[in-house]
Amino acid sequence: MIAYLTAIVTLVGVRALLTLGLNVQWGMTGLVNLGAVAFFAVGAYTSALLAVGGVSLVLAWPAGVALAAAAGAALALVALRLREDYLAIVTLGFAEVLRLFLLNEAWLTRGANGVTAIPRPLHAWFGGHYPAFYLLLVLAAVGLVYTALERLRRSPFGRVLRAIREDEVVAAVAGKPVFRFKVQAFALGAGVAGLAGILFAHYLAYVEPNMFLPQESLYVWLALILGGSGNNRGALLGSLVLLGLLEGSRFAKDVIPFLSGVRLAAAQQMLVGVVLVTMMSRRPDGLLPERPGSE
Amino acid sequence: MPPIAQYVFNGIVTGGILALPAVAFSLLWRLLRFPNFAVSTYLTVGAYAALVLNAGVHVPLELAWLGALAATGAVALAVDRIAFRPMRDRRPFSLAIASIGVAFVLENVVRFVWGNDFRAYDVPVSRAASVAGLRVGREQLLILGAAVVLMALSQAFLRRTRLGVAMRATADNPLLAAVKGVPTDRVIAVATFGGGALAGGAGVFVGLDASIDPLMGGGLIISVFAAAILGGIGSAPGALAGAMIVGIVEEAGTLVVPPTYKTAIGFVIILAVLLMRPTGLAGSRS
Repeated sequence: MIAYLTAIVTLVGVRALLTLGLNVQWGMTGLVNLGAVAFFAVGAYTSALLAVGGVSLVLAWPAGVALAAAAGAALALVALRLREDYLAIVTLGFAEVLRLFLLNEAWLTRGANGVTAIPRPLHAWFGGHYPAFYLLLVLAAVGLVYTALERLRRSPFGRVLRAIREDEVVAAVAGKPVFRFKVQAFALGAGVAGLAGILFAHYLAYVEPNMFLPQESLYVWLALILGGSGNNRGALLGSLVLLGLLEGSRFAKDVIPFLSGVRLAAAQQMLVGVVLVTMMSRRPDGLLPERPGSE
Repeated sequence: MPPIAQYVFNGIVTGGILALPAVAFSLLWRLLRFPNFAVSTYLTVGAYAALVLNAGVHVPLELAWLGALAATGAVALAVDRIAFRPMRDRRPFSLAIASIGVAFVLENVVRFVWGNDFRAYDVPVSRAASVAGLRVGREQLLILGAAVVLMALSQAFLRRTRLGVAMRATADNPLLAAVKGVPTDRVIAVATFGGGALAGGAGVFVGLDASIDPLMGGGLIISVFAAAILGGIGSAPGALAGAMIVGIVEEAGTLVVPPTYKTAIGFVIILAVLLMRPTGLAGSRS
């Protein structure tokens, strides 16, 4: 049970980072991104492939964050001038094309076999206590990113982002280089998602393309909307509630044993869809709405 | 290696199938002002509705196809009532996200009932005929013929009937149309039902041409979007032309890139159109 809880909380931490990343883009700045999983994958694969190739983690991890942020900046430069409904389609498509790339370019990504035996940091040091160590590592990363983003939110930079979210024409009239701010916010969010991917890859020691299906981006959205977009506490709470939704069905198996594995998974995803639609239509501000003027 | 003409022919058939959901997606986007991500899942709904009638109750596929049109139209209408109507006045992006949730629910209802297995209709196996050196399947001709008839009917509806004209008026300017006495709610209901029916009918074609599984519709989402955006949002003839181009380019593209990259071809088309000519082929105001 302890082992299970440790594993679960570690994965909540990874999801929380993803949600915090999307909160920078959508929650703070109002930028649509339906492809959060793409930057998660870029971080995971970059770091995993470098580490497997013998590069030290001290270099591989920053490289993963940097490449995820760069991918975010590149997509933002091309697509952020589009209307938001078009942007939704483009970001979704980007993530799907990236997954196809991971699947097909085996010379670089090892294709459908995935990357195996990804080194785990300080594994030899901790031995049997390794899962506990990794949990603390992930929680420390979440704490650090949360604190940094909270400071950012209250900073002049964060205020400009919110101004852009509310009315970018006004922000532009006030002399702010709106497009540059948008690209920076998008890249920052992508970098945070990349960090989540890195922690994920080195935790499982294995990644493969089908871990990065479009529905993962949907889960990130659900977590953000559940918690309440625009505030970082909401992003954390949402990740926790999402976990309850996703993991609760594991226990449902004991209660309703006549459901097959496929049916249980389908029922769980139906629930995710229903919650998403209900939240969008009835409680768009989430469980912890952003407080106006919360500086 | 088959000649390039074979790829073009297959592309035309694919385009004929794509045209139906593309027209539905395009007109509904223009009318309701949000991209409905559930439209491609309506293909899956239609395919399974026909499967129930055909393989379950042993109705001939032609009749099962008509049943699928009605059933999918009804599902689309129910979805609109439950999910989208309470959100009519919200920003388009909120509705787009809700529509993704809807697609997710529908896909998993199908998975819950029928599982992940690939299925096929109960139809006699027919051998492909050879026409002018091309391999032409009986089903392919059937699909193409039915798609042409459906497209012609929808175009006639939009151009010649009072309700069709009212629909185009509402799409162009909802406020003006409402002031002029157009029954907006009825127009939306008819468009939703019709759009669902078109997509559902296309789903049966996909099931006939390839196979039936819960992801069959969702997997075409990028191609459908590409066709609609290439054609110009809100234009039915544009969506038809866009679907033909996307179908042919995707099929012929497999000569250059591996077939697994079909979706990437659609994505490149979307990006290229949005960056160079966002109004699409039809070129109307956006």
